[in-house]
Amino acid sequence: MAMIDTDHVTGHDGPHTGTDGVRLHVQRLSPPDGRPPTATAVLIHGLLTDSLASWYFTVAPDLAAAGLEVVMYDQRGHGRSERPGSGYRLDTFVTDLERLLDRLDITGPVHLVGNCFGGTVAFAYAMRRPERVAGIAVIEAKPATESWLTEISGILRRVEEELVVHEAESLAWVSANRGAHTARLAKSAARLVRTTSIAEDVPASRVVSEEQVRAVRCPVLAVYGADSELAGQERWLESVLPGTRTVVLPGQGHSVLAEAPTRIRELLLSWIDEREHEGEHERHTATDTAAAALEADAS
Amino acid sequence: MTTVNQAAPSPAAEAPVSTPAGAPADAPAVLAEISGMLRTMLDEYGLDDIEVTMGTRFTEDLELESIDLVALAGSLEARYGRQVNFAEFVAGLDLDEIIDLTVGQLVEYVVRCLRAARER
Repeated sequence: MAMIDTDHVTGHDGPHTGTDGVRLHVQRLSPPDGRPPTATAVLIHGLLTDSLASWYFTVAPDLAAAGLEVVMYDQRGHGRSERPGSGYRLDTFVTDLERLLDRLDITGPVHLVGNCFGGTVAFAYAMRRPERVAGIAVIEAKPATESWLTEISGILRRVEEELVVHEAESLAWVSANRGAHTARLAKSAARLVRTTSIAEDVPASRVVSEEQVRAVRCPVLAVYGADSELAGQERWLESVLPGTRTVVLPGQGHSVLAEAPTRIRELLLSWIDEREHEGEHERHTATDTAAAALEADAS
Repeated sequence: MTTVNQAAPSPAAEAPVSTPAGAPADAPAVLAEISGMLRTMLDEYGLDDIEVTMGTRFTEDLELESIDLVALAGSLEARYGRQVNFAEFVAGLDLDEIIDLTVGQLVEYVVRCLRAARER
């Protein structure tokens, strides 16, 4: 376990010195027995009730066992990361990821895996730093389009009304109907919304145009639950990014990662494995072409 | 200069990195150690001294979140070294089982790991 300070300001040695530097809780899992990893996967969790635990207790150990270097982190305000009072626009979350990978010296292309809002962060990062992304796999997520903003703003408004204004009643209901753990997560979400500007900041995020989404060059896997409110999103994504692989899981809703971790694990493993083999093929082709060019020069 | 703080966040994790040889492999001793780690964690949340027994459930009784269990994994590794692999332990459980986890289940797992390491 490590706490990584995303502070980019130079000349300071305190962890809280920068205007934007926040301490992020990071967990890494490596392949067993000291085997060198075949690739790096960075797992990005969702908004409000989520944390890296959603990966740690589902797919992360198996991804590491399959030979991947797995990097998980709690996004600002979430889990055991710092919870600054403000600074929760999408771009800030993307900058956190950028600085985190810098701090960890992970410069090669990585596979980004994002759940819900984490998937939106993955899309945004792939647009900002295309050279650093080998591929993105998103679960129940969409890029930061105008319609994404409308939906997430609506959700945050509802959370603010229910969880913050009527906190005690809402938590009692969640506890009775959804169990103690969900109630605990809801309590943390209420605290995040109450003590920070997240409910104002996320809706003030910069959106991307369809044109910008079309410019995403890396391979994309998008998984949805058939019963989720996001169902249908896969058709739009296929039309905008024709190479996208979409999977719709029947009988699943928005919390498909928690409900069907085995299926998600299989999808992610075969996806990353295929991308790595493609990469190898491309590298070989490039080497062959270079060799051919050399021979041509020599003759 | 940029700061990369590799220190674990909880004071309990600042215990000696690995003292496997000195770790007692019986349930009461392990329970006492894990209770200490939990108390440190609960102190951070401003919670008062809560009695921790083998039957105590992490979520229902201690109000811990799943992310706290991840942090506890860090404390376990700091105390027992790599011979206690929490990630491997939870990989065999589904999310509901993790939520229902008792302190006793974890204690028994740690004892099993320590004994297995000793026999190697």
